Amino acid sequence: MTDNTECNARNDRIRATEEDLISKILEGDRDLFLELIRPYERTVYATLITMLRSKEDAEDVTQDVLLKALARLQQFRRESAFGTWLIQIAINEARMRKRKMRHGTMFSLTSAADDDGAYVPKDFADWREIPSEALERSETREALAKALALLEEHYRLAFILRDVNELSITETANVLGITRGAVKTRLRRARLMLRDILSPGLQQGGQVGLAFKEARNPWE
Amino acid sequence: MGITCEEVWRDISDYVDDELDQKQRAVLEEHFAQCRHCAAVLEGTCNVIRLYRDERVLAPPKGFHDRLRARLNQKLNQGADERIHPSRRAVLAWALAAAAAVPLGFALFSAKRFLLPGLEHHSPTGSPDSPAVKGLVAVSLDANNKIFHIPSCPYLHGKLKFLSVEEAIREGYSPCPICIGKRKPEKKG
Repeated sequence: MTDNTECNARNDRIRATEEDLISKILEGDRDLFLELIRPYERTVYATLITMLRSKEDAEDVTQDVLLKALARLQQFRRESAFGTWLIQIAINEARMRKRKMRHGTMFSLTSAADDDGAYVPKDFADWREIPSEALERSETREALAKALALLEEHYRLAFILRDVNELSITETANVLGITRGAVKTRLRRARLMLRDILSPGLQQGGQVGLAFKEARNPWE
Repeated sequence: MGITCEEVWRDISDYVDDELDQKQRAVLEEHFAQCRHCAAVLEGTCNVIRLYRDERVLAPPKGFHDRLRARLNQKLNQGADERIHPSRRAVLAWALAAAAAVPLGFALFSAKRFLLPGLEHHSPTGSPDSPAVKGLVAVSLDANNKIFHIPSCPYLHGKLKFLSVEEAIREGYSPCPICIGKRKPEKKG
């Protein structure tokens, strides 16, 4: 469905600034490239860390992807948003790396299929509002990264594109080459699984411990 | 209550994404108002999204931006270096070709004069400074390098001087690896 107009206006502004930067870079002012990609450093890195799992690989590939984007900037068609184009390069690059490194095992078709069965939340505890300072602690951030790593890749990827990169559902579907319906199914599973993984620790620890048991898959 | 909890859990993610129509939305909101469990699931789902959207979560490690800047600068400088200092091999190849061309040209020139003395002709082309004059190469007087180019080379800039290949080499210029060496500008070093 449509985003609200305020959000659209903001996106239009960002897009106009980016188009302006891109034109200047293509005219030769390559130093502006750092300014163009600055807002995407984290989202590209976040996407790659969820795909590659190693911090070193993720940083390495993020830098490769960003430099590749500069080399290919002329090919950017402006049909999609710059961020979407960038994330597309990142995903392709990560897939190529994984194939090359034989990183992990191949996913079987059954495990990659969307589990569209009925879902029952594991608990109904109220989350207290998470104070922003909690995220200053590295354990909290670490716990969030680990929780995400527990999901299967197709859930992880849908979540990271929609909720971290803030792509629309349609853009997510285009990048992943799946239908909007499949994106929505994966998002639902991913979000509710993460809620399950993260919420018990929250009520238990009181002070936002975000502790969770690594060995179990709570949604099973 | 017009909807079961299971149905709410099925739609909760679409509700967050504003993917439901107005009627479905109203039914869900009515349910949340009355069912504490489902309200907690909704709040938790929103919290999950809020947490992961935070810039500090899944952020690149410290020093990432500086390392990226360094790599980018290195790459840009490398490109510039390639333009300024063509590889020694290209220089050698060109010097050899030019060295071979000089006596050959001279031999042809004198042979023509010798064999066909009556056919000496004057070229009808325009001024000798014109870049269209065949065989002339261009050098930039503003550049701080000593490179000669084909007059149409995109790397030429500023005030230009046209001269023959022999003259250029005699004056210490070397050939542009891009326009004369036919090297692709984007090719990695």
